[in-house]
Amino acid sequence: MLSIIVCVKQVPDTQKAVFDPKTGAIDRSATGNIMNPDDRHALEMALALKDAHGATLCALTMGPPHADEVLYEACALGADRGVLLSDPRFAGADSLATSRALARAIERLGPFDIIVTGREAIDGNTGHVAYQLSEFLDAPLVSQIHRIRIDGAHAIIERQYGHEYQTIRCPLPALLSVGSRDNRVRHPRLADIAAGAVQPIRRMTMDDIGGSESDYGASGSPTIVIGAELFSHTRGREALPGGTAEKVEALVHRLKKHNILRY
Amino acid sequence: MMTAPYEQYADSRDVWVFAEIQDHERVLEGALELLTRGRELADALGSRLIALVFALDAEQYLPAIERHGPDAILCCSHPALKHYDSQIVPDMFADLIAERRPSIVLFPSTEAGCDLAPRLAQRFATGLTSHCTDLSIMDHPDYGPGLLVMKRPAYSGNAIATVICPHARPQMATVQQGVFERRERDDVATDIEMLPFSYDLTKLRIESLEAPLRWDKPKVPLEQAPVVVTGGRGLATKKNFERLFELAELLGGEVGATRVPVFNRWCGEERMIGQTGKTIRPRLYLGFGISGQIQHTASIVDSEIIVSVNTNAGAPIAALSDYVVTDDAGVFLAKLIERLRSEKRG
Ligand SMILES: Cc1cc2nc3c(=O)[nH]c(=O)nc-3n(C[C@H](O)[C@H](O)[C@H](O)COP(=O)(O)OP(=O)(O)OC[C@H]3O[C@@H](n4cnc5c(N)ncnc54)[C@H](O)[C@@H]3O)c2cc1C
Ligand SMILES: Nc1ncnc2c1ncn2[C@@H]1O[C@H](COP(=O)(O)O)[C@@H](O)[C@H]1O
Repeated sequence: MLSIIVCVKQVPDTQKAVFDPKTGAIDRSATGNIMNPDDRHALEMALALKDAHGATLCALTMGPPHADEVLYEACALGADRGVLLSDPRFAGADSLATSRALARAIERLGPFDIIVTGREAIDGNTGHVAYQLSEFLDAPLVSQIHRIRIDGAHAIIERQYGHEYQTIRCPLPALLSVGSRDNRVRHPRLADIAAGAVQPIRRMTMDDIGGSESDYGASGSPTIVIGAELFSHTRGREALPGGTAEKVEALVHRLKKHNILRY
Repeated sequence: MMTAPYEQYADSRDVWVFAEIQDHERVLEGALELLTRGRELADALGSRLIALVFALDAEQYLPAIERHGPDAILCCSHPALKHYDSQIVPDMFADLIAERRPSIVLFPSTEAGCDLAPRLAQRFATGLTSHCTDLSIMDHPDYGPGLLVMKRPAYSGNAIATVICPHARPQMATVQQGVFERRERDDVATDIEMLPFSYDLTKLRIESLEAPLRWDKPKVPLEQAPVVVTGGRGLATKKNFERLFELAELLGGEVGATRVPVFNRWCGEERMIGQTGKTIRPRLYLGFGISGQIQHTASIVDSEIIVSVNTNAGAPIAALSDYVVTDDAGVFLAKLIERLRSEKRG
C-alpha cells in the first residue's frame, strides 16, 4: 500500500476578496477562507492513486489554528488523517521558510512514497513550494501530469512538457505538483463530510519539527514585501451600434483607421 | 548538493540572465527582453551583465544573445542539454553561482525558469520573487544601496506587490515574458567563455521512455504576434473556437485563449493568456466570449487596441475595451470572417 502526503493550504478567497483600496492589502476579516483551488486537484490526484493502488493518505497544512478547516475538508474527501503545523513562530513565512517547515514536518511524519502539492497557491501565487520541497527532500518532482500509474518502486507518467508530450519513469519517493488542468475534482458525499469532521487532527509546533526560530516565519524569510497597490485599467469602451452586420462594418472601419487592417 | 549562503556580498556584483533556449531552436524572446532590462540594471549598478546558455549546439545562439548587450556569455554545449533538465541545469548553475557570486540572477517565467529559480533559491537560502512585471534598482534607507526592487501581481492579480531581498544573495526573480522591450545594441563587447560539460549522467533519476511528441504550437510566439484573437467560454464549442484560426490567418495574427478553452482541450496550453499563461501586448487584441477576469486581463492591458465581443454588455472586459461589441461571439466571428474574406477577394 502506498503512503501519500498531500500539502493543502487555506487561502483567502481572492475571487471574492475585499481589499483595502489604499494599501492594496487583503481585508482578511471580511474575506472568506477556502482550500487553495489547486490543492483540491492535488488531493484528487492522491485519491485517484488511492483508488487505483490502495494508499493511506495524510493531509498536511501549515497555518493559523483555523487552518484545520481544510484538513477536515480533506478528510471528508477521503484523506485518512490530517496534520496541522501551527506555531506563532511560523507566521510571516515566505515560500522558502514555508517549504523548510513543510519539509521538516514531512520528514518527521514519513516515510512517504508520494508527496502531492498544488501547483500554485492563489494568495501568494509563487509556485515555489513544490520545487523547494523537491530540493529539501531530495526527491524528483513531476508536474503537468496527464496520466500516472505506479509500477513497483516507480511512477510511469505521461506529461506535457512545453509544446511536447513525454512519457517518463520516475523513482519513488517523488513529488507531484498538480494544477487545475490536470484532473477534475470529485464532490464529497454528505455522509463523508460528517465522517470527515470527526477525524482526529494532529497538531505540531516548531518543537516537533526542530530547527531554530531564525529558520521560520518572517525571520527565516529572505524576501520582504515593502508595498502593495491595487490597480485598474479602463478604456474608451465605445459600443459598436446596430445589428451584427453593422457591428462588423463598424469594427472593420475602426481597424482600418488604426492601420491594423490594410487592404 | 547544498551550497552555503554567501557570507558577505562585497564581491557579489554581477547581473546574470538565464538565456533560455526555446524548443531547442531559438533563444526565448523573454530571455532577450531580460537581457535588455538586465543591461539597464547592470549599468545602474556599474556592474557586468552575464548571460548563461545551456543547450545542444549552443554556439548557434551566441550571436543573437551577443546583440542584446551582455559583457560575457557563459556557454555550455552538450547533447544532454537539448531539453531543460531539472537535475543537470540546477546543479551546473548552482556551481557557477557558488564560484562567481552574482548579485542578481534573472529567469524568464517559463516552465524551465519556474523550475530552476526556486531550486537555486533553496540551495542558496535566498529569496525569489516570481512572475515579476517590473524590475528596478533602489537605494533603501534601511537596507542599503543597489537593491533589486521587484514588482509582481499579488492576490490573483488584484494588486501589485513590491518585494526586496536585502539580506541574502543572489537576489532572484522570474519575469513574465512580454513585460520588457527587447533592444539590440552594438556598443558592448562580449566575452565568450565555453564551459566544459562534466555532469555524471548516471545520476539522473527521471528516465524518458519515448521520444516527446509535439502538439498545437503557435507559429509565432503569442508575445510577438501583432494581432491576437482570443476565445473564451462564450464561444461555447470547439468548432466555434477553431474558427478563430481562420480569423487569425486573415488578420496576420495568432490565436489565444482564456483558461476555459485550454481546460476543455479546445487548444493547447501554449495559447493561454494570463497570470498563469502568457503576457501579450499586440497591436490588436480581439476577445470573443471572454468575461474579463483579472487573471486574464492583467496580461492584456498593454495591448494597443482592445475589442471585446460578449452577449453581456456589462462583462468586466467591456471596461477595458476600446470597442465593445454586444453580440453572440460565434455569430459575430462567422460574420467577421465572411466580411474580411469578401474584402480580400474583392
Ligand atoms: C490562480 C488563478 C490563475 C488563473 N490564471 C488564468 C490565466 O492565466 N488565464 C486565464 O485566462 N484565466 C486564468 N484564471 C481563470 C480566470 O479567473 C477566469 O476563470 C477565466 O479567465 C475566465 O475565462 P472566460 O472569460 O473564457 O470564461 P467566463 O468567465 O466563464 O466568461 C465567459 C463570458 O462569455 C460570455 N458569453 C457567454 N455566452 C456568450 C455568447 N454566446 N457570445 C458571446 N459571449 C458569451 C459571458 O457573458 C461571459 O462574460 C486563473 C484563475 C486563478 C484562480
Ligand atoms: N502553508 C502551507 N501549508 C500546506 N501546503 C502549502 C502551504 N503553502 C504552500 N503549500 C503547498 O504548495 C503549493 C504551492 O504553493 P505556492 O508555492 O505558495 O504557490 C500549494 O498548492 C500547497 O500544496
